[in-house]
Amino acid sequence: MRASQLTVPSSESDLLRRMLSGDEDAFTALYRLRQSAVYRFALQMTGKVTVAEDVTQEVFMALMEHGRRFDPARGTLASFLYGIARNLVLRRIERAHATEELTDAIEDCPGDVDLLQDLTRRETIEQVRRAVLSLPGAYREAVVLCDLQDLSYQDAAAALDCPVGTVRSRLNRGRAMLVKKLGFASPIKAAEGAG
Amino acid sequence: MNLEDNVLKALQALSESDREHQAPPEMEARLRVAFRRNRAAKRRRQIFGWASAAAVVIVIFTTFAPRPRPASAVPVARPTESAAANSGLGPELGPAPATSPPINLPATPKARARNAVQREIVTDFFPLMDVPPPIGRGALVRVDLPAEAMRTVGLPVREDRLAERVQADVLLSEDGLATAIRFVKVSR
Repeated sequence: MRASQLTVPSSESDLLRRMLSGDEDAFTALYRLRQSAVYRFALQMTGKVTVAEDVTQEVFMALMEHGRRFDPARGTLASFLYGIARNLVLRRIERAHATEELTDAIEDCPGDVDLLQDLTRRETIEQVRRAVLSLPGAYREAVVLCDLQDLSYQDAAAALDCPVGTVRSRLNRGRAMLVKKLGFASPIKAAEGAG
Repeated sequence: MNLEDNVLKALQALSESDREHQAPPEMEARLRVAFRRNRAAKRRRQIFGWASAAAVVIVIFTTFAPRPRPASAVPVARPTESAAANSGLGPELGPAPATSPPINLPATPKARARNAVQREIVTDFFPLMDVPPPIGRGALVRVDLPAEAMRTVGLPVREDRLAERVQADVLLSEDGLATAIRFVKVSR
């Protein structure tokens, strides 16, 4: 057995197999297992609830239609779903020119603001969200998948259909852009801030 | 603690705050309805495929199968005893005398059972198309399908019998489209 096959939880493979043979309960179970991750990914990529809802629905419609295309040798089912979601999100962004709108909405923060001291405050969270949304698409995807969705580099690479090294470099670049945008000018006690 | 660590902490906080976000509850119901529709459409397509394939096989078979040669119109002279004598063959080696016509014996119970007329039990016709074309002329084709096909029209089939073969009549429209199907059970 290939190593990558071990990464697919047997319950998910089983659910997918049953779903493809027409088992509605298996489909429902898969949906409940994965919908929130797909929804959050779309929301974090676009910042729009309506788009996140549409994308989530379309991802699971696509799973019904094209679920047989899932190949465990190429990655996990989660990666497969993120890959579909990513394509749909990119299409939405292109269509609605959402990138420009979101980029316009974000202003770089002044460097003397100590963001992390108030990190639990909603507006601070929203500032971070806007900073992520303002990243160029390729860097945003890497940050959202690896830092917000906690995917491994391998799974992110499978979802983005690119080499692991590319994910790493995009992630580093994305984080560097966030440092600049959020204006972390001085070392901060992150533990306190995050708490 | 470097700047990137601060960013990571900020992202972690954002991730945690988003953890509760999920798709609205009504989406699940919508998708379940879509799943059922999708499943029904797939099964209709499957039956349509089987029926079409069966129809093609039948058409090919009826077109290219060798046909029995018609009986010769030229009467064949029945050999007579004199002919046998003239041929120089003895009566043992000459052509066999014409056999007597068969005698109709009363049928035994076994024979009666063999010859019993097969009765067919058929279901109603189930449409295979949402909007079937009007049928002016068409054809009814008997095909052999897996029992699983019965499920596609909502007939109950036990899991362990899905692979068994069943007979069905497929109603083909003039242009060869399978428009309806009924299942047939042959009983003696």
